[in-house]
Amino acid sequence: MITVRGVHKSFEEKEVLTGIDLDIPDNNNLVILGPSGQGKTVFIKTLVRLIEPDAGSIAYDGDDILKMSRKEWQAYQNHIAFVFQNSALFDFLDVRENLSLFLRMHKRLSPFQMYNEVSRAINFVGLGEDVLDKFPEELSGGMRKRVAIARAMIKRPKYIFYDEPTTGLDQNNAEKVSELILMLKNEIAATSIIVTHDIKLMRDVADRVALLREGNISFTGTKEEISAETLEFLYETRGEYDL
Amino acid sequence: MAKILSDKFFEQLGERTISFFTTVYDIAVLFIQSIKALPSLWFYRRQFLEQIYAFSVKTLPIAAVIAVFIGLGATVQSTYQSSELLTRAILVNVIFKTTILELCPIILSLVLAGKLGASLAAEIGSMKISEQIEALETMSLDPVGFLVVPRIVAGLLMLPVITIFANALAIFSSFFVSAVATDWISAQEFGSGMQMDFKAFELYFGNLIKPAVYGVLIALVGSYFGLRTTGGAKGVGTASTNAVVVSAVFIVIFDYYLGKLLL
Repeated sequence: MITVRGVHKSFEEKEVLTGIDLDIPDNNNLVILGPSGQGKTVFIKTLVRLIEPDAGSIAYDGDDILKMSRKEWQAYQNHIAFVFQNSALFDFLDVRENLSLFLRMHKRLSPFQMYNEVSRAINFVGLGEDVLDKFPEELSGGMRKRVAIARAMIKRPKYIFYDEPTTGLDQNNAEKVSELILMLKNEIAATSIIVTHDIKLMRDVADRVALLREGNISFTGTKEEISAETLEFLYETRGEYDL
Repeated sequence: MAKILSDKFFEQLGERTISFFTTVYDIAVLFIQSIKALPSLWFYRRQFLEQIYAFSVKTLPIAAVIAVFIGLGATVQSTYQSSELLTRAILVNVIFKTTILELCPIILSLVLAGKLGASLAAEIGSMKISEQIEALETMSLDPVGFLVVPRIVAGLLMLPVITIFANALAIFSSFFVSAVATDWISAQEFGSGMQMDFKAFELYFGNLIKPAVYGVLIALVGSYFGLRTTGGAKGVGTASTNAVVVSAVFIVIFDYYLGKLLL
């Protein structure tokens, strides 16, 4: 379980996170929903210390990660995977090397075991093994996102963080990504934390939802508990949401 | 009006001075972090070998062209300025020492600061803005160990190799233009000119010490500006420009102090 208490973050004069409290239970898909500019990406990056908060605590199973040294945190990161908004595949490595980098650096596997892990991951996300020898620039946006999910999966993490996983994808690819998020939860029993502005994605994958507005959580609950009025208030629109 | 202008001038001057010293401090911090991360070089050996290739094979053609023309240029200039007061053997000695101690190491390093420094900053800067550096961190990989250390060590080791090659080529081209293509000096006189007042340390200084320092500077400054890149394509362009300018300034400053301290 991840417990977030009083997390603040400011950039120069602007306070982006204004004292967030949130509990993220295990084996759940938590969707943090909110329109652009509410601090979603800052918050999710704060949860994995890519951005250091100014105040507050973030505890994974009771261990405050903000009190860990860089070295301790680096070791702890083996339990965590992050799928970036722009996929963030290493453009100087081909897909096979992108997938095997973590294994090569941190696990003592034989080439045969590594080959099996990579093949399993690429098949899991619905891509053929012919993709393995391609470089990220040769792939479409949807394929890159699926490779990024395969790269996250190969770590067999306890927690997977997704930053706007469907942004920039067409409907087919967005649906495929939603399916993968659900499949991954079953496959490796991971807790997924997904930040998005995409209400359809929230409807498709969320077990629990947290609404982020002006740097703070304004609602937590199940997706069934969210009313159309709440979303209209969140997105400052009228009559657009049919839940 | 004049007072406002002068106030603004001094304000900007102050800001730029502070910014320069902050940059120097930050680069020194990155250097210390790199030294601490040095034991991880074996862990990132593949990245290291790729950088060895980038710092050597990819720079050889440009180094060869520069070296040949440094040798030719230095010889032509010196013979033009020769007078009755100096023997030709002494002039050869001056050409030889100027070339290996100063011309080749510094000109080559400045050109490589443009080629390698800019490409390092652009490469790392592109990774920064596309979240690849953050992706490294989430994979428990240290960006300094993974990106900076292999480049610094490659610079440290390979710039001396390139400079030895360039110095040899420059001296050969000097010999060619003065003793083979023309009869300005005989091959024996050229040889005795090179041996005159010979100090082995000068060879180490021009071929090993100076280029090793410049190699570290080019890699360190390029990596630093790459890691600090913000914004989009414009930010990458700014990082590359800054990397070239700052490493060139550092090279000429270090050139003076190395000579003053060690010669």
